[in-house]
Amino acid sequence: MVAHLIGVLFDGISYGSLLFLIGVGLAVTLGLMNFVNLAHGAFAMLGGYSTVLVMSRYGVPFFLALPVAFVVSAAVGALLERTLYRRLYRASHLDQVLFSIGLTFMAISAATFVWGPTQQPVRVPSFLQGQVQIFGLDFGAYRLFLIGVVVVITLALGYLVERTRFGAQIRAAVDNQQVSAGLGINVDRIFCLTFALGSGLAGLGGGLGIEVLGLDPTFPLKYIVYFLLVAAVGGAGTISGPLATALILGVFDVAGKYYVPEIGAFVIYALMIVLLILFPSGLFGRRA
Amino acid sequence: MSELLAIENVTSGYGESVVLDDVSLRVNEGGSLALLGRNGVGKTTLLITLMGLTRLHGGTLRWRGEDLARLSTHERARAGIGWVPQERSVFPSLTVEEHLTAVARPGPWTIERVYAMFPSLASRRRNFGGQLSGGEQQMLAIGRALMVNPSLLLLDEPMEGLAPLVIQELRGIILDLIATAQTAVIIVEQHAKLALALTENALILDRGRVVHQSTSAQLLADPATLHRFVAVA
Repeated sequence: MVAHLIGVLFDGISYGSLLFLIGVGLAVTLGLMNFVNLAHGAFAMLGGYSTVLVMSRYGVPFFLALPVAFVVSAAVGALLERTLYRRLYRASHLDQVLFSIGLTFMAISAATFVWGPTQQPVRVPSFLQGQVQIFGLDFGAYRLFLIGVVVVITLALGYLVERTRFGAQIRAAVDNQQVSAGLGINVDRIFCLTFALGSGLAGLGGGLGIEVLGLDPTFPLKYIVYFLLVAAVGGAGTISGPLATALILGVFDVAGKYYVPEIGAFVIYALMIVLLILFPSGLFGRRA
Repeated sequence: MSELLAIENVTSGYGESVVLDDVSLRVNEGGSLALLGRNGVGKTTLLITLMGLTRLHGGTLRWRGEDLARLSTHERARAGIGWVPQERSVFPSLTVEEHLTAVARPGPWTIERVYAMFPSLASRRRNFGGQLSGGEQQMLAIGRALMVNPSLLLLDEPMEGLAPLVIQELRGIILDLIATAQTAVIIVEQHAKLALALTENALILDRGRVVHQSTSAQLLADPATLHRFVAVA
């Protein structure tokens, strides 16, 4: 019983970690640029396909394929930000939604055209397969690895945003774009770099997540609701909010599907509605 | 003294609407100008136009002989315009120290010098912008603009909503800046007499147009004009 509970908690946390890694970029785009980017999942998918491609075609090992996924998604993110997204920063949310959902459909079609509609396999290194015994309990090795990676990235991200000059400039731009620009901060450049970072993290999450979430062309639509929940409930523009939300989301999703399978898929939606009623500006509302 | 900033026949506003109508003025290196007028006559719009945050319908903006209008907002700040916006607009998510480091550019103004000028900021360096009192926020807004190492400081109602004692302190600091730091200043202020006592030249706006231009001393000695165009406290 207790072992089950710990197992569910562990699976939920590793699942939530992955949701955070992919969703944090969306939270930042929403908070910093006030842009509703429904195509965010497509950047995660791009990272997933990049991972599969460089591994199968060029024999790149898994651990090197992940940074490639980050770089490819970040580069494509930066390119699209410069050419397309920035034109819509001042547009209405409806325009942004229509644009980014259109981009999502294009990504789905392109992925189907190139890779076909089937699930893509990924071969993770053998030592990440199977179980690891800790205190007599079995834990999935890959899920432990996943949690470890996300812990490291979260710490690095926290350091970047809270401790560096670049991070202070990001926060200044979130607080007040015009005043930031009026004090010499290149807000356009910050937007581009931040967008690229968020896309890159989504791409990394897409690569890491193949083993957990799977990878097929419908990926960007299938999971966008989760990423949006992470951003919306977490409170746009912060890191701790989306992190907490993603972990709650992960744990309750896994627990719901395990303990009450008949209604499991609905548990998180009910939970998120309650959370949004209780904390309308996000779990960790912006510092005021 | 050589010309730092020249505004010639500038018409600007927001979108299609026009707020400033055919405004011209000039500020020399190290000069100081009081920008006066009642509420809503376009004083803030003039400063925002200099920062490139309005729509310029016509006229030219010259900065050290170059076309300022070609530069984007952050490039204007980097060219040497230090902006202290209305209502201070400190960043709630940044600590006092981060306000200063995030915008710092090389030059004579360093974080130590700003702390020396505003000791109360030094003691609150780890506090967030929103946790400061009104006077401290104003000092932070000025210190932050100085970290850009400007040749021209734009002060938009720096005394607004501050206690008399704080106003006295700030007054001394601004006077010091004008007198010793060789920074040119444009000050928008409701307290007309205070602004006139600080500055060399004065300009009055009314409904977006320049209606009076003289030295500050001349305007101080002309209560009729002051009464006509400026609410005198």
